[in-house]
Amino acid sequence: MNCAEFQKFLPELIDSDRSAEQESHLKSCPECSGLVADLNLISREAQQLQEFAEPSPRVWNSIEIVLRREGLIREPHLGPALVPPVRRSWTLAWLAPVAALALLAVGVLVYQREVHEQNVAQQPASSPVAHLSVPPGKTVNEDQQLLEAVGSRSPAMQAQYASDLQNVNAYIHDAEQSAQADPNDEEAQQIVMDAYEQRATVYEMALDRSLP
Amino acid sequence: MTDARKLQGDKLSEAEAIERAKQGDAEAFEFLFGLHKRRVYSLCLRMTANTAEAEDLTQEAFLQLFRKIATFRGESAFSTWLHRMAVNVVLMQLRKKSLPVVPLEETLESEDEAPKKELGAPDPVLSGSIDRLRLQRAVDALPPGYRRIFVLHDVEGFEHNEIATMVGCSIGNSKSQLHKARMKLREALKTSRAEKATKP
Repeated sequence: MNCAEFQKFLPELIDSDRSAEQESHLKSCPECSGLVADLNLISREAQQLQEFAEPSPRVWNSIEIVLRREGLIREPHLGPALVPPVRRSWTLAWLAPVAALALLAVGVLVYQREVHEQNVAQQPASSPVAHLSVPPGKTVNEDQQLLEAVGSRSPAMQAQYASDLQNVNAYIHDAEQSAQADPNDEEAQQIVMDAYEQRATVYEMALDRSLP
Repeated sequence: MTDARKLQGDKLSEAEAIERAKQGDAEAFEFLFGLHKRRVYSLCLRMTANTAEAEDLTQEAFLQLFRKIATFRGESAFSTWLHRMAVNVVLMQLRKKSLPVVPLEETLESEDEAPKKELGAPDPVLSGSIDRLRLQRAVDALPPGYRRIFVLHDVEGFEHNEIATMVGCSIGNSKSQLHKARMKLREALKTSRAEKATKP
């Protein structure tokens, strides 16, 4: 057996035994034995590549947003139930007025927040309150309008989307701070873009739900 | 991730986290993600050689897993279940991008790209160890088809019959592409060593 014949069968020799003739050639041929040793070394060393890299924090943030939106994450009970669980008919009976009260409360909160925002706008630009929870260029009104649109069609999901918006706005805020710290960091800039995309996704999902 | 770190500090077991995740516990989900994120992300990164795409696929793999976690009964290891799901997610994405599985008779793209057979003169042997960074760069530079088979077999540990089923090729094709991948890596690593040796 010569080198060409031996190396022709190398792909088939992966994970399988060699014949006596092949073993004999391997023992007598430095070139083929060197080749086989190199290929085995590469295969062994490849295993150290298994857990080398770590994803950015945005991956978990995105996963959590989706899990909450799909209801796979459920907030825990704070303690034993203080009242017995109500029957389904009861739930449906008082849901409408409770939803109306919730919307009224949200409206009051929005009005109070608008007044606060106007006061904050008159403060110096360095005030941390001005940019705390809403991305630049966006206003509380836009988020509130979205939540009202969701609430008018699906009151049960309004709190969910409020939570989603809060999370994504905080993510945008953190991402922009990171990008501003180093304007040359392309990855940080990409993370900011991704964060805005996530916000757009939340809007898209919310509007889909709010449409008839 | 302070809550997840608290869980880790309390030595929550993976089995406990799975049961709590089935109940919708956010901390449990985050704990499971933290436990397996590097393995899944590394797999996606090795297969795509693109960080943004790898992160998207990592996200998708975990979402598919978490959506189905209620059905996990513990017949196999959780990590195995997640691992296979991640591989399927990556392969589906690669199929969408129309990455072809090259038939056995067409595995030689061209003389320039095929690993050269050096017969006659003895080849220098690689040293007893390979720098992980150099190996990673060499893997990233592989043609996509070779890289996929190499990652599945040598990095992730799948057998050829499993790869053939997942990828949709024959066992012979899988072995052939793996061999060519290793030959290309050998060439690349020898070239890299030679360049390093000539630098002052």
